[in-house]
Amino acid sequence: MSTVQTAPRASRNPQQGKGPRGGHDTGFVARLMTNPVVRRLSDRRLLPVTGTLVALAVILVVGQVRYSTDRRDFLSMRLFSNLLVDNSYLIVLAIGMTFVIITGGIDLSVGAVVALVGLVVAKLLIAGAPLPVVLILGVLIGTTFGLLIGVMVQYFDIQPFIASLAAMFLARGLANVVSVQSLAIKDEGFAALASWKIKFGEGREAWSINLSMVVAFVVLLIAIYLLHYTRFGRTVYGLGTGDNGTAVNLMGLKGSSTKVWVYVISGTCAGIAGILFALYTKSGFNLTGIGMELDAIAAVVIGGALLTGGGGFVLGSVAGVLVYGLIQVLIAREGLDSWWTKVFIGVVLLAFVLLQRAMTFRQGRGAAT
Amino acid sequence: MSTTTAAYAAPVVEMTGITIEFPGVKALDGVDLTLRPGEVHALMGENGAGKSTLIKALTGVYQIDAGRIVVSGAEHRFTRTRDSQDAGISTVYQEVNLCSNLSVAENIMLGHEIRFGPFINWPATRRKAREHLALLNLDIDPSSALSSHSIAVQQLCAIARAMVVDAKVLILDEPTSSLDKAEVAELFDVIRSLRDKGVAILFVSHFLDQIYEITDRLTILRNGRLISEHLTKELPRMELISAMIGRSGEALADVEERAHRVASEHDEEPLLRAVALGRDGSVEPFDLDVHAGEIVGVAGLLGSGRTEVARLLYGADRAGSGKLTFDGATRGAAPLTSIKRGVAFSSEDRKKEGIIGDLTVRENIALAMQASRGPWRPVPAKELDAVVDRYMKALNVYPANPNMLIKNLSGGNQQKVLLARWLATAPRLIILDEPTRGIDVGAKAEIQRLVAELAGDGMGVVFISSELDEVLRLSQRVVVMRDRQKIGEITNGPDVTSTTILETIAASGSAS
Repeated sequence: MSTVQTAPRASRNPQQGKGPRGGHDTGFVARLMTNPVVRRLSDRRLLPVTGTLVALAVILVVGQVRYSTDRRDFLSMRLFSNLLVDNSYLIVLAIGMTFVIITGGIDLSVGAVVALVGLVVAKLLIAGAPLPVVLILGVLIGTTFGLLIGVMVQYFDIQPFIASLAAMFLARGLANVVSVQSLAIKDEGFAALASWKIKFGEGREAWSINLSMVVAFVVLLIAIYLLHYTRFGRTVYGLGTGDNGTAVNLMGLKGSSTKVWVYVISGTCAGIAGILFALYTKSGFNLTGIGMELDAIAAVVIGGALLTGGGGFVLGSVAGVLVYGLIQVLIAREGLDSWWTKVFIGVVLLAFVLLQRAMTFRQGRGAAT
Repeated sequence: MSTTTAAYAAPVVEMTGITIEFPGVKALDGVDLTLRPGEVHALMGENGAGKSTLIKALTGVYQIDAGRIVVSGAEHRFTRTRDSQDAGISTVYQEVNLCSNLSVAENIMLGHEIRFGPFINWPATRRKAREHLALLNLDIDPSSALSSHSIAVQQLCAIARAMVVDAKVLILDEPTSSLDKAEVAELFDVIRSLRDKGVAILFVSHFLDQIYEITDRLTILRNGRLISEHLTKELPRMELISAMIGRSGEALADVEERAHRVASEHDEEPLLRAVALGRDGSVEPFDLDVHAGEIVGVAGLLGSGRTEVARLLYGADRAGSGKLTFDGATRGAAPLTSIKRGVAFSSEDRKKEGIIGDLTVRENIALAMQASRGPWRPVPAKELDAVVDRYMKALNVYPANPNMLIKNLSGGNQQKVLLARWLATAPRLIILDEPTRGIDVGAKAEIQRLVAELAGDGMGVVFISSELDEVLRLSQRVVVMRDRQKIGEITNGPDVTSTTILETIAASGSAS
């Protein structure tokens, strides 16, 4: 019996191009390309995430060059601390959204759920309900909406777009039923949670870790565990193959329940994000989070997930949120109108979608030969 | 079943009296199948014979309505694919049913990952995957994406996955349909080594050569029923084909005298001429001439490339090689060009590619006519009414109500409406792919009569059918297809019978 030797057809494996061809390749580039980290990052599946990291680096360098003063560097722990304080709710949303998008679905309800959760939490706390109960209830509201969408998608065969659109209207409508006015949260326990932080450094260098950052970090760890170290996570990726779960089911994996679970996860993340947002603003408001679901989707796409499903990483999505947040910081430092943020996000998003398109094109051409 | 059974090891799978009903159809009717360890068993039958359904019953995709499935001595009722896999039955489906976006290792090991506490131990899992690949003599990086490998390698990965569970039974459903010769040889080596290890292998393929090369025993199905079980080497190719299509060669030879029309001498240019027309992965290059007033039949088993020929001639598929001329001029390769130049194509799949169920008979007839005029010049209502009326009368469409939804008509009448649709474009050449499939005898005869009349009026006809006597009754020349190749062309005459065609199919197989 002979041995089948098959190299991956798309010969973008850096090892092949950069073999010992002669004298000139032993330079920096060759050494760089054989570096295991670089090799990993230039893998086709990781390319979009690499793109995100490059974008992140470019923004940081631009910021460092333009906004550093003699007295203070732009790049500092303080920058990242502030970035995370302002965006941890979005990180949690983006992590939940990543699960859904990897299966090829979408969840439009999360922004409205954030508003509903914030208002319910505010209302209940004002009514004097115990804090732990209120917080758990808040998260469960998100879980319930996720379950609703998941069941509609899996068992009633409704498009994720439509199912989550219905849930979005439902949540937004309910938020208006709870209150059409902004409700300030004055509960002492809640205020204590909101202001809890561990401080580092002194004076201008001072930075801190607050509760939202801790929560977002824990959610991130759980998400990485679920997506990369469990059969469930692999099934999530498998569902994104684009064959309606046929392959996954024929492989004997639990395709249908997994599909429901991703929406439950996204909904639960929306519930958690709702509480984080309430902690951030110390209030609940029915017009909160309009378009927030689109911010989350944009962050996930910038983070390298394919909207068609099958690819993406939670860490990429976190990087996507950071790119998003940093663009806001840069716009503010430039003294530009905050609307410019949207313009830049639009440009970055477009660039990433084009990058993905170029990749799938090359992939398609590779398969044809 | 057979008296030689005793000489073999105890069967590992015994399916008896398997019946599966779908709404309105009995897909399987009391079928038996026995698989023995260390044996390659072929499941034979034409498309729609029930092979896939039987396999899906064994793998738990479909649930059986009646019958028994005994695996290794224990009776099972499979309700999920997982149940069947746990019983030691692994399947490699026709299409590679793996996740192309996942890595090779993930595709092989998912469901049987190696764990470290609650975590998947990826390095160990990848190592294990590499070992399984090595068993199949496949040396690829387990962490590479499955999509970066050729279909053949993906197919082997699917087999590696199937073997992870230490399968007692391996089902290979058309594993060779997308492989080239060398890859098939490689696959057969793997199959033989698995067989020698005592795995029972169920092999499904349309390629008769491969059946005779690799299988030890075969079971023949037809129309959802068990026809017979044989040792492969004891069953001549001719008898196998006859059993599959349901007519013995002798019986076919007795078919009554047909009105053979001797092929007239064609001095003039052919209406349609294909030279070395072909398409990769669809059909090997072939030559074909069709003259005005001539009916050319295309015969062959299902999957032999008949439909592919039709699609190439019409331009529904773009040809990869060769030249197609119509009326002396090179033809563009798009359906609309074909319609405009007078070529019509009535496709095999009436429901999907033919009728539009929610439109009326009148609208269905108007479709091709309107397409040839372009969207901006609607067919005047009066003209359309006249056309509809004429063809509905001429073709005897029943009920004679042009405003009925076509989905409410019987199959035969739907077929007539489709014919009317194409005749309304006044074509000079019409390609009919299985125009009589699934319709009753009366309607069948009517359509055959129509086809003969059309040719009599000077239209060129390409007539494709799986019913050999129908092809022979109508056509002056018969093109014989096998394994996606044109293997011969027979000029019809009184001494040409369906046996002749069957012999051509069988003979060229053993010669190659």
